[in-house]
Amino acid sequence: MAFILATLPPQGDFIGTMIYLVENYYQIILYGLGVTILLSVVGTLGGFLLAMGVTQARLVEIDQKRDGPWQKIYKATFKRMAVTYVTVFRGTPMIVQAMIIYYGVASLGIFPWWSPLPAGLLIVTINTTAYISEVLRGGVSSVDPGQMEAARTLGLNRRQAMRHIVWPQAVKNALPGIGNEFVVNLKDTAVLSVISVVDLFYSVRQSASTNYRYIEAFMIAAILYLILTFVSSKVVDYLTKKLDTTSEVSQS
Amino acid sequence: MKKIFVVFAVLFALGLSACSQASYEVREGNTLTVGLEAAYAPYNWTTQQQNEFTVPLNGQSGAYVDGYDVVVARHIADELGLELVIKAIEWDGLIPALQAGQIDVIIAGMSPTAERKETVNFSTEYYRANQVMVVRTDSTYADATAIADFSGSRVIAQLGTLQDDLIDQIPNVVHGTPLDSYNAITQAVRSGEADAFIAELPVAVSITQSNSDLTYVEFEGTNGFTVSEEDVTTAVAVRKRDNALLEAIDSVLVELSSETKDAWMLAALSRQN
Repeated sequence: MAFILATLPPQGDFIGTMIYLVENYYQIILYGLGVTILLSVVGTLGGFLLAMGVTQARLVEIDQKRDGPWQKIYKATFKRMAVTYVTVFRGTPMIVQAMIIYYGVASLGIFPWWSPLPAGLLIVTINTTAYISEVLRGGVSSVDPGQMEAARTLGLNRRQAMRHIVWPQAVKNALPGIGNEFVVNLKDTAVLSVISVVDLFYSVRQSASTNYRYIEAFMIAAILYLILTFVSSKVVDYLTKKLDTTSEVSQS
Repeated sequence: MKKIFVVFAVLFALGLSACSQASYEVREGNTLTVGLEAAYAPYNWTTQQQNEFTVPLNGQSGAYVDGYDVVVARHIADELGLELVIKAIEWDGLIPALQAGQIDVIIAGMSPTAERKETVNFSTEYYRANQVMVVRTDSTYADATAIADFSGSRVIAQLGTLQDDLIDQIPNVVHGTPLDSYNAITQAVRSGEADAFIAELPVAVSITQSNSDLTYVEFEGTNGFTVSEEDVTTAVAVRKRDNALLEAIDSVLVELSSETKDAWMLAALSRQN
């Protein structure tokens, strides 16, 4: 590098201190950056897949005439479980979920692999599931009921109609919301440092720990977070627009 | 109703595990997992340099931890024949992590306060910060033996520190405006703006070594400052049930002389800068 600063610049040299921190801790900061991206990607993808199941369970309809008594019971149970799940995980802060789940499972002492990172991945996934489930429910209800009626008229049963007609449109409608969850996750996973997940926030804090230059260090974190969210917002916008155009083309 | 059930299930699980886990066995080759913040210099801090003093941080590739706590942890592990593993854990998470069995001991510059003692046990102290006063070698205060000898002098300390609070114990003292760095404080005493400043012994040793016109004054017993144990000592925290481990750690720590500990702290301070 052109500017090698072997010693810590004096207090007040803001930019100099930031350069010093980056030079001396780039490895640690990059690791944290990687963990933040990993948490957001796994959390959003995993959350999306699980949310399809949860949303499906929430949208189950009990057919009073055709369903047998057992079918009614298990449908009602599934539906209630899915609703409770979303209520609990949307209704409590992720930082609280992190504390309960991480230390709760750790104190069971039955999973030797249980450590902050796997715990963090699990927590962000189940939290995102609840949020994306709301987004998907909105996506499903935004599909015109006529689509379902038409599909049923053409001989598809309810399940087939959901799978082939309603869901593909629902997911497309929900994509901007899901992309938004990814951007939110990039920032919100910083709270997982409370259970010692070494994400971007925690690693930057570590980099400041030798000399206590916190403002300079967190300015580095702010810039990196901003780059992450800015770039991913643009990508989400681009993908959303692209999907819109292709669908218009195929319709015409 | 379901939520209540879930809460009970978690509480039950916590209670169950608290009863079922065995205590730590001190045996050659066993792993001693130490928890610290890796962000509390000079006790512990993170670096990406690998050298003879640093220990890799568990589960965080490319990151190493250095500091006084690391030297003590390595010494304890070596003496007891244990394999040392160090995990970086958020300060507020240290005691929960110890309780949950994620770590075996906390060596994190933690003071043994009465509140913490209700949850965990503490070893004998592994560091005691002796408070000394730094003066010019040609000053009349250089021969002082008690803080009373500083009566009427102008004394300064670092902003927001224990040392700044201690100044008022000196009779008739002129309490100077606290400064934010030891560089500024050292300069104030060298230039005669102040007669003395209060610092922990290793800090004083480090400053007087690089400034030959300065020296420091130590006090014995009641001649010195009155401080609470909680403010000046740090100890190793272990789980309540781990008595054997606590005894083993104590047996290592009592063998350490205060000279050794001060030398380790001084070395840590010089590596930090």
